[in-house]
Amino acid sequence: MSNNLLEIKDLNIFFKSDKNPDPIHAVRDLSFSLKQGEMLGVVGESGSGKSITNLALMGILGDSAIVRAEQCSLNNRELLNLKEHEWQKVRGGEISMIFQDPMTALNPFLTVEYQIVETILAHLNISKGEAKNKAIELLLQVGITSPKDRLKSYPFELSGGMAQRVMIAMAISTSPKLLIADEPTTALDVTIQKQILTLIKSLQEKNNMSVILVTHDLGVVSEFSERVQVMYAGELVETGRTSEIIKNPKHPYTFGLLSSRPGAVTRPAKTPLASIPGIVPAFHQRPAGCQFNPRCIHVLEDCKLGKIPIEHFVRCLHPMKETIV
Amino acid sequence: MNEILKVEALHKTYDIKKLFKPTLKLKALSGINFHLSKKETLGIVGESGCGKSTLAKVLTKLESITHGEIILLGKKYNDYLALEFHSKIQMVFQDPYQSLNPRKKAFDIIADPIRINTQTSSLEIDYLVMEMMKKVGLREEFSKRYPHHFSGGQRQRLGIARALMLRPEILILDEPVSALDVSIQAQVLNLLLELQVEFNLSYIFISHDLSVIQHMSDRILVMYLGRVVEYGSRDQIFYNPLHPYTKILLESAPKTQKSQKTHGKTLGQEIIVKGELPSALNLPKGCAFEPRCPYAKVSCKESVPDLEIKQGREVACFEV
Amino acid sequence: MKIFFSELYFELKKNRGAMTGVIIIILSLVIAIFAPLLAPHNPTEIFSDSLRLPPVFVSGGKPGFFFGTDDIGRDLLSRLIYGSRISLSVGFSVVVLSLITGTFLGVMAGFYGGLLDRIIMRLTDLIMSLPSILFAIVIVAVLGPGITNSIVAVSIVAVPNFIRIIRAQVMVEKNRQYVFAAKLFGAGNFRLMFVEILPNCIAPLIVQASLGFSDGILNVAALGFLGLGAQAPMSEWGTMLSDARSYIESSPWMVTLPGICILVTVLSFNLLGDGLRDALDPRLKKQN
Repeated sequence: MSNNLLEIKDLNIFFKSDKNPDPIHAVRDLSFSLKQGEMLGVVGESGSGKSITNLALMGILGDSAIVRAEQCSLNNRELLNLKEHEWQKVRGGEISMIFQDPMTALNPFLTVEYQIVETILAHLNISKGEAKNKAIELLLQVGITSPKDRLKSYPFELSGGMAQRVMIAMAISTSPKLLIADEPTTALDVTIQKQILTLIKSLQEKNNMSVILVTHDLGVVSEFSERVQVMYAGELVETGRTSEIIKNPKHPYTFGLLSSRPGAVTRPAKTPLASIPGIVPAFHQRPAGCQFNPRCIHVLEDCKLGKIPIEHFVRCLHPMKETIV
Repeated sequence: MNEILKVEALHKTYDIKKLFKPTLKLKALSGINFHLSKKETLGIVGESGCGKSTLAKVLTKLESITHGEIILLGKKYNDYLALEFHSKIQMVFQDPYQSLNPRKKAFDIIADPIRINTQTSSLEIDYLVMEMMKKVGLREEFSKRYPHHFSGGQRQRLGIARALMLRPEILILDEPVSALDVSIQAQVLNLLLELQVEFNLSYIFISHDLSVIQHMSDRILVMYLGRVVEYGSRDQIFYNPLHPYTKILLESAPKTQKSQKTHGKTLGQEIIVKGELPSALNLPKGCAFEPRCPYAKVSCKESVPDLEIKQGREVACFEV
Repeated sequence: MKIFFSELYFELKKNRGAMTGVIIIILSLVIAIFAPLLAPHNPTEIFSDSLRLPPVFVSGGKPGFFFGTDDIGRDLLSRLIYGSRISLSVGFSVVVLSLITGTFLGVMAGFYGGLLDRIIMRLTDLIMSLPSILFAIVIVAVLGPGITNSIVAVSIVAVPNFIRIIRAQVMVEKNRQYVFAAKLFGAGNFRLMFVEILPNCIAPLIVQASLGFSDGILNVAALGFLGLGAQAPMSEWGTMLSDARSYIESSPWMVTLPGICILVTVLSFNLLGDGLRDALDPRLKKQN
């Protein structure tokens, strides 16, 4: 028994495919926990397994996926053993999710009112009229100024930022304990991104809700989340306090990500950026040993063998000692 | 002559025709002025709907000019013949998954610009393509592959190679790295910097990402709803922004280091801009940014501020 | 392009119906090509002593005539074997004719839009507003009966399908960035249409071509049945069917056998077409 809201130990996700006899190992030995009311930033590029992990937490991975874990529990309740009808209560009830593209996440043929009220009625035992009042209240909470007019709109009449606000209103309508925000602002402009992230942060604090904020942008994480975990090629490579990792990244991948950010470091313009060579390996071409070793500039012989354990919150045999200037 | 491109009072208007409704005029660009010097990078920054993509299309002649003039190497755009024009100005597109023909091999993608425009022998084309592939960091054996075998970064290198085959003087880079993963972005940006020196290129670098613009540009044009709001050197824009929109844009960009907010001093405190972009079909009568501007006064609603030189750069704001 | 077809084959192999279709089509191709070797008799040779013989496996059949003979004493099996030559080449000609015209007009309509598009599309609307067989009959009536004219008529009727499919696809593709890129290095309109855009539209074309094959065979057979298609003594299945219909009660095999031949050939092309559609659809979505 633990006090953590979410407790994940050794989560492994495989995908069967008809072209390859061996299943693809998409997420390896992922362990992390999340306290009630805490925000966790998850940083990773495409293929890092960050989105797949979220879908597994929502129980919507589909038939080709095999999910195994020593523990994967929400409030000490094991999620992986749930039946489909139990999942339906958890999904959208205790765990909610918002997506990268709010426009495709909303049904284009139904009004905002219909979509919010339907979500509320699916999880709460209240009348339609009460649900409508709650919908108005929710829209006000997410900063929509004329909620009654907005309820009558169809998704195409909303701007990207407005649609994401509606998605957030739907996500928090059931007072979830955990909100998963998967790249919630990647499709939005910077000024709108700031508005949306600030909104999520304030809702997290006000409702004592836990948030998993997935992003590819280290800047977003460092401004909004105290704790961060960095994923690479299906593995957790580094985790810790954001301010600490931004200053003293121990894993060469994190170091590379931070020092390749243009404009992040005070350096004269138009000089070469420190870049990470190569690309993320494809799912069926994952190397032995450290997943990052083919791209790592500090690679040694022992990096290429066996499983690399996480020690002191970093999955690296030879952690970096340098600081980011 | 150092100045190779000059844009004068450029306007682009689209007619929106709807059945049973009067035709609407969408002003995508109004009164754009700027110039580009040899070997220089001009950054164009703004949010979606600010007209930066329309500008790229007008500059590459994919769209016609409604009003105004663009002068390339002392000659008006309309006076150029097709081939002459295409060998002066080329473009790298945003989406490396859409900008390469999926049914063409890498070799043909790179070779086609020469094949169409010149009478080069196939032996020489072979040599030129291989040479170019080396320069953009693609291995020779990749030439037989189709685009879907390449990663996003490699595709963008292919797109750059194609754009350089006719040896243009100006390259328009329309969000060249925004579809790429963070670790790949730096690789492509470095390549662009190398190529600029090697081929004596002038860049027009269009992006919504301020950190990329800051790293790549010599001078910067900030756009809002089809108008230029601020136009100055990189240091002026990033370290001493004057227009409220520029300030807010800089403030909103997520940063890893708080100490980096050098522009913070001019702002005093963090501001979150209210509201969203108004519709380009229904522009406010006054300053386009007025409805969202924290410094707006009554006078801002009445007329559109002109670009004026203030503290060494051009700004369109009454309150500066 | 090679990869495209190998992937297509990989997807198609999983579909049993489509594979059945492919096997039958290959089989009938073999029969058509080797017809002189396979047929026991000349299809027009008249055995005046053996009129309307039933097949061998029915009492009264003669060993020399496996499927029996027709009303004037020609060997049915040989006629059916030679008939496959006609039907397959008819289907092929119809597809080639309608594919080329349809693709050309469709690409022009989709690429240029405007007035040209409107003219082409109203013409297709006109053709499609009449039942296709009726329209084909009108055309043959004007041109005169005969196998060549009925191929032309059936092809004209099939063109609008191709135009519509290719036009829709071109309208999507022409706004992709690779087309802009080609414009920027000076590619002319002809090159844009047929070198850059068209190869990206072939997936739905393949499906339509395979379905058009069966439509073509069916429509030409129908014209033959109405006496407007192949003329005697050509052993076209539709004509055979029509000639035999007065004997439907006394000699049912004369009607049944050509009927089954048409059914099986048309069905196998439809199975292949549907299989191709299923195999190509996810690819289409992935590309978007």
